[in-house]
Amino acid sequence: MNAITHQKILAAGRYRDVSLEGVDRETARRLYRFMLRLRRCEEALAAEYHPADEMRCPVHFCIGQETVPAALSVLLKAEDHLYCHHRSHGYYLAKGAPMRAMFAELYGKETGANGGRAGSQDISFPAVNFHSGAILAGATAVAMGTALALKTQQRPGVVVAGFGESATDEGIFWETVSYAALRKLPIVFVCENNNYSVFSPLLKRQPTDNISEKVSAFGMKSAALFGNDAPLVYRILREAIEAARAGSGPAFVEAYTCRWSGHYGPASDDLVGYRSEEEVRAWKENDPIALLEEAMAAAGQADAAGRTALLKEIDAEVADCFHFAKSSAFPKGGDWRAMNYAAASPEADRLLVEIDEAAFDHEQVAVQAKGY
Amino acid sequence: MSGSPVRSPRTQPAAQQLSYAEAIAQGTAQAMELSRDVLLIGQLIDYSPGVFGTTTGLAERFGAERVLDFPVAESAMTAAGMGAALAGMRPVLIHHRLDFMLYSMDALVNWISLWRFKSNGESRVPLTIRAIIGKGWGQGPQHSKSLHAWFAHLPGLKVAMPATAFDAKGLLLESIFGDDPVVIIEHRTLFGLKDAVPAAPYRVRFGRAAVRREGSDLTLVAAGVMVPLALRAAARLAQEGVSAEVIDLRTVSPLDSETVLASVAKTGRVAVFDPTWASFGVASEVIARVAERLGRRLKADPIRITHPDSHTPMSAALEALYYPNEEDVLKRLRALAA
Repeated sequence: MNAITHQKILAAGRYRDVSLEGVDRETARRLYRFMLRLRRCEEALAAEYHPADEMRCPVHFCIGQETVPAALSVLLKAEDHLYCHHRSHGYYLAKGAPMRAMFAELYGKETGANGGRAGSQDISFPAVNFHSGAILAGATAVAMGTALALKTQQRPGVVVAGFGESATDEGIFWETVSYAALRKLPIVFVCENNNYSVFSPLLKRQPTDNISEKVSAFGMKSAALFGNDAPLVYRILREAIEAARAGSGPAFVEAYTCRWSGHYGPASDDLVGYRSEEEVRAWKENDPIALLEEAMAAAGQADAAGRTALLKEIDAEVADCFHFAKSSAFPKGGDWRAMNYAAASPEADRLLVEIDEAAFDHEQVAVQAKGY
Repeated sequence: MSGSPVRSPRTQPAAQQLSYAEAIAQGTAQAMELSRDVLLIGQLIDYSPGVFGTTTGLAERFGAERVLDFPVAESAMTAAGMGAALAGMRPVLIHHRLDFMLYSMDALVNWISLWRFKSNGESRVPLTIRAIIGKGWGQGPQHSKSLHAWFAHLPGLKVAMPATAFDAKGLLLESIFGDDPVVIIEHRTLFGLKDAVPAAPYRVRFGRAAVRREGSDLTLVAAGVMVPLALRAAARLAQEGVSAEVIDLRTVSPLDSETVLASVAKTGRVAVFDPTWASFGVASEVIARVAERLGRRLKADPIRITHPDSHTPMSAALEALYYPNEEDVLKRLRALAA
């Protein structure tokens, strides 16, 4: 098997295989718009992060990794569920959660997606079935459980679990893949293989680079692909999601990509020396947005004027989100217990009966005093 | 919080004598009848032994899709229970031994317990986890741990320790149809204990301790499998002219401080029976709460009746030394009363 690896991608140099085949004009426009919106949003957040220091939470920027969220933004329906890792912004926006609430969450405001409880790496928007978490593979198993519920109750919808390749270092990921394959659950696993667990490269952590070959051995369909080719990512994910939706079971998609920024925060952490300048430069030459833009321009679907108009619209939205976040109030706090436990139990109220416990007490004492 | 010992004569609802295991089985079956959202997940739960009789026959009645024999993958199983709960189901996870669920600590600590908080109250995880504790016949250090204090330490998680068949059923139903995640600690040696159990699907509220025996000289606070021991000790003390009040905590999170404090305010002497290690446990927590509110009104130093701070031995000879024995407990209680 001629598996994709990071080494092969770097050796291949400039990528020239973007094709709009199977991607209609409207879909290409949506992919492009989503990626540009995500990129500008991340760049604006990065620029504002320091020295203002008003977003006082760890932020893992996803610049360079826009294709998977872009494809999901087109493919997922309201009834579907999306779980992802700490590099969450793209996924959050992909499921249609509001950008304003994301910004406010980063600023720790009451109007934030989670009222300032979660921040960037743990953000969720339950109303659109979007959840994230920072403990890598944990969310893949939670996602599998949601897929189990959909299958058990024969409900419509698919579940997508997005994660990085480091999640596959953890055992729970393989338990999850095995069970999803066994039960043919309606779930798609999408792995953004950016090669690094913070600084540590995949080949220092696992004996082989390609994760999808291992997943195949667990009895699940899998595909590895060059992850900066947005139309390709879209086509492969569409096939996987449609199959899962049709009841054909799960799939694993491995998108090879690169994060441009450091592991967290806007600054580069390349000074640590864990990856070379050439490596990052090579990936930047295969910028997913530029690659799509070129293909669209060649097909007469994109031009400089269109881009300028789009950026104007996006920048206005981003400015509005900053204004919303900064002008919102901080949470006031309150009863800590009430933040952690349900205030009521309506289902128990509806289904269970109240019993006069005192009527049973004497008998229990008599039984128990005898011992067991 | 109630837990008032006042009893008024009322009509007793229809009840039957059921064992603790039968009460769990009945409660589970009723929950599954009441709601299609209830799903059982655990290892071997669809075979005839049915986890000590608590799930026997349920697969035949409700189907393999809802009585799910899961692979030995406790970590994924627990996280999956959460995922199913987020999709609106009310899963019940079952562990033959609590020790087996420790692979799932990440799911419990980093996901399940904090999901409501982290979502600012928008998400809920109505998940029930039954964890069984072994004792005797050489269960040894990997089949006998009761880590209720670990679970009770976590905000967002509730912890029940039913000591009677009545509570085993009522707390299980309350857990399943409540909106918070719950760990229910069940002790294997209680499974044969029979008492009167109402036939209806009823609820036992969390955070309401029961005064199992009224008394005026000593307060014996007990959790789970320690309740019968405390009651036997109280019965023997009564023969010696010492009147001990016995409080069954029923749930350790939330913990019904008020019932305990009301009793200790009356007696001024307290012993806490906790079926696990002494240090950093529920007994310590109860005594801390007593000390914070009644410290200067105590007539004697509080005591903890627990296991030693040691892992559980296999040998019966060592087990006899390890678990609190009635005679030693009585000696300590007599000293407390003196």
